[in-house]
Amino acid sequence: MLIETDILVIGAGPAGSTAAKHAALGGAKVLMLDKKSEIGAPKRCAEGVSIGGLESLGIEPNPRWVTKKLDGVRMVSPNGTDVWLTSDKVELPEAGYILERKVFDKFMAMDAARAGAEIRVKTLATGLRREDDHVIVSAECMDEEFEIKAKIIIAADGPETRVARWAGLRTALKAKDMESCAQFEMAGVEMENNDVIEFYFGSVAPGGYAWIFPKGDDIANVGLGVLTTNTDKTAYQHLLEFVENCPATKNAQPVELNIGADPVGGMPKKMVADNVMVVGDAASQVNPLTGGGIISGMTGGMLAGKVAAEAIKEGDASEKRLSEYEKVCRAEIGDSINKYLKVKDYMMTLSDEELDSIADVFKDTDFERVSTGEIVKTLIKVSPKALLKLGKIF
Amino acid sequence: MIVKEWCMYCGGCAGVCPRNLIEVRELTLKFNEDECKECSLCVQLCPVDALEQE
Repeated sequence: MLIETDILVIGAGPAGSTAAKHAALGGAKVLMLDKKSEIGAPKRCAEGVSIGGLESLGIEPNPRWVTKKLDGVRMVSPNGTDVWLTSDKVELPEAGYILERKVFDKFMAMDAARAGAEIRVKTLATGLRREDDHVIVSAECMDEEFEIKAKIIIAADGPETRVARWAGLRTALKAKDMESCAQFEMAGVEMENNDVIEFYFGSVAPGGYAWIFPKGDDIANVGLGVLTTNTDKTAYQHLLEFVENCPATKNAQPVELNIGADPVGGMPKKMVADNVMVVGDAASQVNPLTGGGIISGMTGGMLAGKVAAEAIKEGDASEKRLSEYEKVCRAEIGDSINKYLKVKDYMMTLSDEELDSIADVFKDTDFERVSTGEIVKTLIKVSPKALLKLGKIF
Repeated sequence: MIVKEWCMYCGGCAGVCPRNLIEVRELTLKFNEDECKECSLCVQLCPVDALEQE
Protein backbone atom coordinates (compact mmCIF):
# COMPACT_ATOMS: atom_id res chain seq x y z
CA MET A 1 0.00 0.00 0.00
CA LEU A 2 1.28 3.47 -0.87
CA ILE A 3 -0.29 6.60 0.59
CA GLU A 4 0.44 9.89 -1.14
CA THR A 5 0.42 13.27 0.54
CA ASP A 6 1.97 16.69 0.13
CA ILE A 7 3.21 16.98 3.70
CA LEU A 8 3.81 14.22 6.23
CA VAL A 9 4.16 15.28 9.88
CA ILE A 10 5.74 12.64 12.11
CA GLY A 11 4.74 13.08 15.76
CA ALA A 12 1.57 14.70 17.09
CA GLY A 13 2.89 16.63 20.06
CA PRO A 14 2.18 20.36 20.21
CA ALA A 15 4.92 21.18 17.65
CA GLY A 16 3.76 18.54 15.16
CA SER A 17 0.07 19.39 15.50
CA THR A 18 0.79 23.10 15.06
CA ALA A 19 2.87 22.36 11.96
CA ALA A 20 0.08 20.15 10.58
CA LYS A 21 -2.56 22.80 11.30
CA HIS A 22 -0.71 25.62 9.54
CA ALA A 23 0.32 23.43 6.63
CA ALA A 24 -3.32 22.40 6.13
CA LEU A 25 -4.56 25.99 6.51
CA GLY A 26 -2.06 26.89 3.79
CA GLY A 27 -3.88 24.57 1.42
CA ALA A 28 -1.59 21.52 1.46
CA LYS A 29 -2.70 17.91 1.79
CA VAL A 30 -1.39 16.90 5.21
CA LEU A 31 -1.03 13.55 7.00
CA MET A 32 0.15 13.40 10.62
CA LEU A 33 1.29 10.19 12.35
CA ASP A 34 1.69 9.44 16.02
CA LYS A 35 3.15 6.19 17.25
CA LYS A 36 1.15 6.22 20.47
CA SER A 37 -2.41 5.05 20.93
CA GLU A 38 -3.28 8.25 22.77
CA ILE A 39 -2.00 11.67 21.72
CA GLY A 40 -0.80 13.57 24.78
CA ALA A 41 -0.30 10.58 27.05
CA PRO A 42 1.82 9.78 28.92
CA LYS A 43 2.80 13.37 29.61
CA ARG A 44 6.52 14.15 29.70
CA CYS A 45 6.32 17.69 30.92
CA ALA A 46 5.88 19.99 33.90
CA GLU A 47 3.07 21.66 31.91
CA GLY A 48 3.97 25.34 32.39
CA VAL A 49 3.30 27.74 29.53
CA SER A 50 3.30 31.53 29.11
CA ILE A 51 -0.03 33.18 28.38
CA GLY A 52 1.56 35.59 25.91
CA GLY A 53 3.05 32.63 24.07
CA LEU A 54 -0.36 31.05 23.52
CA GLU A 55 -1.70 34.41 22.32
CA SER A 56 1.14 34.75 19.82
CA LEU A 57 0.12 31.38 18.39
CA GLY A 58 -3.52 32.45 18.14
CA ILE A 59 -4.71 29.90 20.68
CA GLU A 60 -7.64 30.77 22.96
CA PRO A 61 -7.28 29.39 26.48
CA ASN A 62 -9.81 26.63 27.17
CA PRO A 63 -10.90 25.66 30.70
CA ARG A 64 -10.68 22.01 29.67
CA TRP A 65 -6.88 22.25 29.45
CA VAL A 66 -5.96 25.14 31.74
CA THR A 67 -5.64 23.80 35.28
CA LYS A 68 -4.23 26.87 36.94
CA LYS A 69 -3.39 30.50 36.29
CA LEU A 70 -0.10 31.46 37.91
CA ASP A 71 0.65 34.50 39.98
CA GLY A 72 4.41 34.48 40.23
CA VAL A 73 7.54 32.59 41.04
CA ARG A 74 9.31 31.38 44.16
CA MET A 75 12.98 30.49 43.82
CA VAL A 76 14.64 28.50 46.58
CA SER A 77 18.40 28.25 47.09
CA PRO A 78 20.15 25.19 48.57
CA ASN A 79 19.98 26.44 52.18
CA GLY A 80 16.29 27.29 51.83
CA THR A 81 16.62 31.04 51.27
CA ASP A 82 13.67 31.93 49.11
CA VAL A 83 12.96 34.73 46.68
CA TRP A 84 9.31 35.58 46.04
CA LEU A 85 8.29 37.30 42.84
CA THR A 86 4.52 37.70 42.97
CA SER A 87 2.07 40.10 41.34
CA ASP A 88 1.41 42.05 44.54
CA LYS A 89 5.08 43.09 44.46
CA VAL A 90 6.04 43.16 40.81
CA GLU A 91 4.62 43.33 37.32
CA LEU A 92 4.37 39.90 35.73
CA PRO A 93 4.67 40.16 31.95
CA GLU A 94 5.36 36.46 31.58
CA ALA A 95 2.29 35.28 33.51
CA GLY A 96 1.55 31.66 32.85
CA TYR A 97 -0.78 28.73 32.99
CA ILE A 98 -0.27 25.17 34.09
CA LEU A 99 -1.84 22.97 31.45
CA GLU A 100 -3.35 19.52 31.43
CA ARG A 101 -1.12 18.26 28.63
CA LYS A 102 -3.12 15.09 28.06
CA VAL A 103 -6.06 17.29 27.07
CA PHE A 104 -4.08 20.17 25.54
CA ASP A 105 -2.14 17.95 23.12
CA LYS A 106 -5.37 16.32 21.93
CA PHE A 107 -6.98 19.72 21.42
CA MET A 108 -4.02 20.88 19.33
CA ALA A 109 -4.29 17.70 17.21
CA MET A 110 -8.05 18.28 16.87
CA ASP A 111 -7.33 21.81 15.61
CA ALA A 112 -5.03 20.28 13.00
CA ALA A 113 -7.77 17.84 12.00
CA ARG A 114 -10.33 20.64 11.73
CA ALA A 115 -7.92 22.55 9.51
CA GLY A 116 -7.97 19.56 7.18
CA ALA A 117 -5.10 17.33 8.30
CA GLU A 118 -5.56 13.56 8.32
CA ILE A 119 -4.34 11.85 11.50
CA ARG A 120 -3.24 8.28 12.10
CA VAL A 121 -2.52 7.13 15.66
CA LYS A 122 -0.63 4.01 16.79
CA THR A 123 1.36 4.41 13.59
CA LEU A 124 5.14 4.34 13.69
CA ALA A 125 7.50 5.65 11.03
CA THR A 126 10.28 3.08 10.68
CA GLY A 127 12.50 4.49 7.94
CA LEU A 128 12.94 6.98 5.14
CA ARG A 129 14.42 7.13 1.68
CA ARG A 130 14.60 9.80 -1.00
CA GLU A 131 13.28 9.20 -4.50
CA ASP A 132 13.56 11.93 -7.14
CA ASP A 133 11.76 14.98 -5.76
CA HIS A 134 10.00 13.27 -2.86
CA VAL A 135 10.52 11.11 0.19
CA ILE A 136 9.20 7.63 0.91
CA VAL A 137 8.59 6.90 4.59
CA SER A 138 7.94 3.35 5.71
CA ALA A 139 5.38 2.99 8.48
CA GLU A 140 3.63 0.38 10.58
CA CYS A 141 0.21 0.28 12.21
CA MET A 142 -0.81 -2.91 14.03
CA ASP A 143 0.02 -5.75 11.62
CA GLU A 144 0.03 -3.51 8.58
CA GLU A 145 3.21 -2.24 6.90
CA PHE A 146 2.93 0.49 4.31
CA GLU A 147 4.73 3.36 2.64
CA ILE A 148 3.94 7.05 2.50
CA LYS A 149 5.10 9.18 -0.40
CA ALA A 150 5.45 12.83 0.63
CA LYS A 151 6.86 15.94 -0.95
CA ILE A 152 7.86 17.30 2.44
CA ILE A 153 8.20 15.60 5.80
CA ILE A 154 8.13 17.56 9.03
CA ALA A 155 9.98 15.64 11.75
CA ALA A 156 8.30 16.29 15.11
CA ASP A 157 9.31 13.08 16.84
CA GLY A 158 10.45 14.69 20.09
CA PRO A 159 13.73 14.20 21.97
CA GLU A 160 14.32 10.86 20.22
CA THR A 161 14.81 12.88 17.04
CA ARG A 162 15.34 9.85 14.80
CA VAL A 163 13.53 11.00 11.67
CA ALA A 164 15.67 14.06 10.91
CA ARG A 165 18.78 11.92 11.32
CA TRP A 166 17.50 9.43 8.75
CA ALA A 167 17.48 12.42 6.40
CA GLY A 168 21.06 13.31 7.26
CA LEU A 169 20.47 16.15 9.74
CA ARG A 170 22.63 16.11 12.83
CA THR A 171 20.08 16.40 15.61
CA ALA A 172 21.48 13.80 18.04
CA LEU A 173 21.95 15.08 21.58
CA LYS A 174 25.18 15.04 23.53
CA ALA A 175 24.94 13.89 27.15
CA LYS A 176 25.68 17.42 28.38
CA ASP A 177 22.80 18.76 26.27
CA MET A 178 20.10 16.36 27.45
CA GLU A 179 18.41 16.71 30.82
CA SER A 180 17.29 13.43 32.32
CA CYS A 181 13.98 14.15 34.06
CA ALA A 182 11.58 12.54 36.50
CA GLN A 183 8.36 13.89 37.96
CA PHE A 184 5.49 12.86 40.18
CA GLU A 185 2.05 14.35 39.90
CA MET A 186 1.09 14.49 43.57
CA ALA A 187 -1.84 15.25 45.85
CA GLY A 188 -1.44 16.59 49.37
CA VAL A 189 1.26 19.07 48.35
CA GLU A 190 1.51 21.80 50.99
CA MET A 191 2.86 24.84 49.19
CA GLU A 192 3.20 28.14 51.00
CA ASN A 193 1.32 29.70 48.11
CA ASN A 194 -0.19 27.43 45.47
CA ASP A 195 -0.53 30.26 42.95
CA VAL A 196 3.21 30.37 42.24
CA ILE A 197 5.61 28.02 40.52
CA GLU A 198 8.60 26.99 42.62
CA PHE A 199 12.17 26.37 41.48
CA TYR A 200 14.80 24.70 43.69
CA PHE A 201 18.43 25.14 42.69
CA GLY A 202 21.73 23.50 43.55
CA SER A 203 22.88 19.98 44.31
CA VAL A 204 19.28 18.89 44.76
CA ALA A 205 19.35 18.53 40.95
CA PRO A 206 22.92 18.64 39.54
CA GLY A 207 22.98 20.32 36.14
CA GLY A 208 19.31 21.22 36.33
CA TYR A 209 16.75 22.22 38.92
CA ALA A 210 13.77 20.85 40.80
CA TRP A 211 10.28 22.28 40.40
CA ILE A 212 6.86 22.30 41.97
CA PHE A 213 4.20 23.45 39.51
CA PRO A 214 0.75 23.75 41.10
CA LYS A 215 -2.30 22.34 39.32
CA GLY A 216 -5.01 23.60 41.67
CA ASP A 217 -5.93 22.73 45.28
CA ASP A 218 -3.22 20.47 46.74
CA ILE A 219 -2.22 18.98 43.38
CA ALA A 220 1.15 19.69 41.76
CA ASN A 221 3.76 18.40 39.35
CA VAL A 222 6.85 17.76 41.45
CA GLY A 223 9.88 17.00 39.37
CA LEU A 224 13.46 17.64 38.43
CA GLY A 225 15.96 17.42 35.64
CA VAL A 226 19.63 16.47 35.98
CA LEU A 227 22.58 16.21 33.63
CA THR A 228 23.95 12.69 33.79
CA THR A 229 27.41 14.17 33.29
CA ASN A 230 27.01 15.88 36.70
CA THR A 231 25.69 13.05 38.89
CA ASP A 232 25.99 9.31 39.43
CA LYS A 233 22.41 8.98 40.61
CA THR A 234 19.41 8.68 38.32
CA ALA A 235 16.85 11.45 37.98
CA TYR A 236 14.37 9.16 39.74
CA GLN A 237 16.67 8.70 42.75
CA HIS A 238 17.14 12.46 42.98
CA LEU A 239 13.37 12.89 42.80
CA LEU A 240 12.75 10.46 45.66
CA GLU A 241 15.26 12.37 47.80
CA PHE A 242 13.76 15.72 46.88
CA VAL A 243 10.22 14.63 47.70
CA GLU A 244 11.33 13.22 51.03
CA ASN A 245 13.24 16.35 52.05
CA CYS A 246 11.09 19.16 50.67
CA PRO A 247 8.68 20.55 53.30
CA ALA A 248 5.94 20.97 50.68
CA THR A 249 5.92 17.31 49.66
CA LYS A 250 6.65 15.39 52.83
CA ASN A 251 2.95 14.53 53.24
CA ALA A 252 2.15 14.30 49.53
CA GLN A 253 1.33 11.13 47.62
CA PRO A 254 2.03 10.40 43.94
CA VAL A 255 -0.72 9.56 41.49
CA GLU A 256 1.50 9.49 38.44
CA LEU A 257 5.19 9.07 37.59
CA ASN A 258 6.52 10.78 34.47
CA ILE A 259 9.97 10.48 33.00
CA GLY A 260 11.62 11.88 29.93
CA ALA A 261 14.50 13.75 28.40
CA ASP A 262 14.71 17.45 27.65
CA PRO A 263 17.08 18.75 24.96
CA VAL A 264 18.74 21.90 26.31
CA GLY A 265 21.70 22.38 23.96
CA GLY A 266 20.14 24.93 21.61
CA MET A 267 18.95 24.38 18.05
CA PRO A 268 21.15 22.33 15.67
CA LYS A 269 23.11 24.08 12.93
CA LYS A 270 20.76 22.79 10.25
CA MET A 271 17.01 22.24 10.58
CA VAL A 272 16.17 21.64 6.92
CA ALA A 273 17.33 19.37 4.12
CA ASP A 274 15.79 18.64 0.72
CA ASN A 275 12.15 17.62 1.46
CA VAL A 276 12.74 17.62 5.23
CA MET A 277 12.13 20.04 8.12
CA VAL A 278 12.55 19.40 11.85
CA VAL A 279 10.53 21.10 14.63
CA GLY A 280 9.96 21.08 18.40
CA ASP A 281 12.01 18.99 20.81
CA ALA A 282 13.41 17.10 17.80
CA ALA A 283 15.14 20.39 16.91
CA SER A 284 15.93 21.33 20.55
CA GLN A 285 13.50 24.26 20.31
CA VAL A 286 13.65 24.62 24.07
CA ASN A 287 14.70 27.43 26.40
CA PRO A 288 17.95 25.89 27.68
CA LEU A 289 17.68 27.68 31.03
CA THR A 290 14.13 26.70 31.98
CA GLY A 291 13.80 23.60 29.83
CA GLY A 292 10.44 24.97 28.68
CA GLY A 293 9.65 24.12 25.08
CA ILE A 294 5.89 24.11 24.50
CA ILE A 295 5.59 27.61 23.05
CA SER A 296 8.95 27.62 21.26
CA GLY A 297 8.27 24.19 19.77
CA MET A 298 4.81 25.26 18.62
CA THR A 299 6.28 28.45 17.17
CA GLY A 300 8.77 26.31 15.24
CA GLY A 301 5.85 24.14 14.12
CA MET A 302 3.80 27.11 12.97
CA LEU A 303 6.68 28.60 10.99
CA ALA A 304 7.55 25.24 9.42
CA GLY A 305 3.91 24.50 8.52
CA LYS A 306 3.49 27.87 6.81
CA VAL A 307 6.71 27.62 4.81
CA ALA A 308 5.95 24.00 3.87
CA ALA A 309 2.51 24.93 2.51
CA GLU A 310 3.99 27.73 0.40
CA ALA A 311 6.75 25.45 -0.88
CA ILE A 312 4.12 22.91 -1.96
CA LYS A 313 2.20 25.61 -3.86
CA GLU A 314 5.39 26.62 -5.63
CA GLY A 315 6.35 23.01 -6.35
CA ASP A 316 9.76 23.49 -4.76
CA ALA A 317 10.71 21.38 -1.73
CA SER A 318 14.44 21.94 -2.04
CA GLU A 319 16.60 22.67 0.97
CA LYS A 320 17.07 26.17 -0.41
CA ARG A 321 13.32 26.84 -0.49
CA LEU A 322 12.71 25.29 2.94
CA SER A 323 15.60 27.21 4.49
CA GLU A 324 13.21 30.17 4.78
CA TYR A 325 11.82 28.28 7.80
CA GLU A 326 15.25 28.07 9.34
CA LYS A 327 15.81 31.78 8.81
CA VAL A 328 12.52 32.96 10.34
CA CYS A 329 12.82 30.42 13.13
CA ARG A 330 16.25 31.65 14.18
CA ALA A 331 14.95 35.24 14.09
CA GLU A 332 11.84 34.37 16.11
CA ILE A 333 13.18 31.99 18.78
CA GLY A 334 16.86 31.36 18.03
CA ASP A 335 18.31 34.52 19.54
CA SER A 336 16.61 33.99 22.86
CA ILE A 337 17.59 30.30 22.93
CA ASN A 338 21.23 31.29 22.38
CA LYS A 339 21.10 33.89 25.14
CA TYR A 340 19.63 31.50 27.69
CA LEU A 341 22.16 28.85 26.68
CA LYS A 342 24.85 31.18 27.99
CA VAL A 343 22.93 31.80 31.22
CA LYS A 344 22.53 28.05 31.70
CA ASP A 345 26.26 27.53 31.21
CA TYR A 346 26.90 30.20 33.82
CA MET A 347 24.40 28.68 36.29
CA MET A 348 26.24 25.35 35.97
CA THR A 349 29.36 26.94 37.40
CA LEU A 350 27.67 28.06 40.64
CA SER A 351 28.25 26.16 43.86
CA ASP A 352 25.53 25.77 46.49
CA GLU A 353 27.24 28.51 48.55
CA GLU A 354 27.26 30.92 45.61
CA LEU A 355 23.59 30.22 44.92
CA ASP A 356 22.81 30.90 48.59
CA SER A 357 24.61 34.22 48.54
CA ILE A 358 22.84 35.28 45.33
CA ALA A 359 19.49 34.33 46.87
CA ASP A 360 20.40 36.35 49.93
CA VAL A 361 20.78 39.50 47.84
CA PHE A 362 17.82 38.69 45.61
CA LYS A 363 15.38 38.32 48.47
CA ASP A 364 15.80 42.00 49.39
CA THR A 365 15.90 43.25 45.80
CA ASP A 366 12.91 45.14 44.42
CA PHE A 367 12.17 43.78 40.98
CA GLU A 368 10.14 46.10 38.79
CA ARG A 369 8.82 43.36 36.59
CA VAL A 370 9.37 39.62 36.45
CA SER A 371 10.60 37.82 33.41
CA THR A 372 13.45 35.42 32.92
CA GLY A 373 15.39 38.25 31.26
CA GLU A 374 14.76 40.65 34.15
CA ILE A 375 15.95 38.08 36.70
CA VAL A 376 19.17 37.57 34.73
CA LYS A 377 19.71 41.36 34.55
CA THR A 378 19.43 41.55 38.33
CA LEU A 379 21.80 38.63 38.66
CA ILE A 380 24.37 40.59 36.66
CA LYS A 381 24.00 43.52 39.07
CA VAL A 382 24.66 41.44 42.17
CA SER A 383 27.26 38.97 40.94
CA PRO A 384 30.59 40.07 39.44
CA LYS A 385 31.01 36.57 37.99
CA ALA A 386 27.67 36.91 36.21
CA LEU A 387 28.60 40.36 34.93
CA LEU A 388 31.78 38.93 33.48
CA LYS A 389 30.02 36.06 31.72
CA LEU A 390 26.68 37.60 30.80
CA GLY A 391 27.09 41.37 30.92
CA LYS A 392 27.42 41.74 27.19
CA ILE A 393 24.40 39.64 26.30
CA PHE A 394 21.72 41.11 28.54
CA MET B 1 21.25 -4.57 25.83
CA ILE B 2 18.94 -5.70 28.59
CA VAL B 3 15.75 -3.63 28.87
CA LYS B 4 14.35 -3.88 32.36
CA GLU B 5 10.67 -4.48 32.93
CA TRP B 6 10.24 -1.01 34.42
CA CYS B 7 11.26 0.86 31.23
CA MET B 8 8.68 3.58 30.53
CA TYR B 9 9.56 4.07 26.84
CA CYS B 10 10.27 7.79 27.24
CA GLY B 11 12.76 7.64 24.37
CA GLY B 12 15.54 9.69 25.95
CA CYS B 13 17.97 6.86 25.20
CA ALA B 14 17.18 7.11 21.49
CA GLY B 15 17.93 10.84 21.44
CA VAL B 16 21.46 10.44 22.79
CA CYS B 17 22.34 7.34 20.77
CA PRO B 18 24.99 8.77 18.44
CA ARG B 19 24.25 6.10 15.82
CA ASN B 20 20.45 6.31 15.92
CA LEU B 21 20.10 2.63 16.74
CA ILE B 22 17.21 2.62 19.20
CA GLU B 23 13.62 2.26 18.06
CA VAL B 24 11.11 3.23 20.73
CA ARG B 25 7.60 1.91 20.28
CA GLU B 26 4.70 2.52 22.60
CA LEU B 27 5.60 -0.53 24.71
CA THR B 28 8.79 -1.93 23.19
CA LEU B 29 12.38 -0.84 22.89
CA LYS B 30 14.39 -2.31 20.03
CA PHE B 31 18.17 -2.00 19.73
CA ASN B 32 20.17 -2.55 16.60
CA GLU B 33 22.80 -4.50 18.53
CA ASP B 34 25.00 -5.23 15.50
CA GLU B 35 25.89 -1.56 15.04
CA CYS B 36 26.19 -0.70 18.76
CA LYS B 37 29.65 0.43 19.89
CA GLU B 38 28.71 0.22 23.59
CA CYS B 39 29.24 3.92 24.31
CA SER B 40 26.59 3.48 27.03
CA LEU B 41 25.22 7.03 26.70
CA CYS B 42 21.74 5.49 26.62
CA VAL B 43 22.37 3.59 29.85
CA GLN B 44 23.52 6.78 31.61
CA LEU B 45 20.66 8.94 30.32
CA CYS B 46 17.86 6.65 31.50
CA PRO B 47 15.96 8.42 34.31
CA VAL B 48 14.98 5.08 35.92
CA ASP B 49 18.06 2.93 35.26
CA ALA B 50 16.17 0.55 33.01
CA LEU B 51 19.01 -0.32 30.62
CA GLU B 52 21.89 -2.67 31.28
CA GLN B 53 24.78 -3.43 28.97
CA GLU B 54 25.12 -7.19 28.49
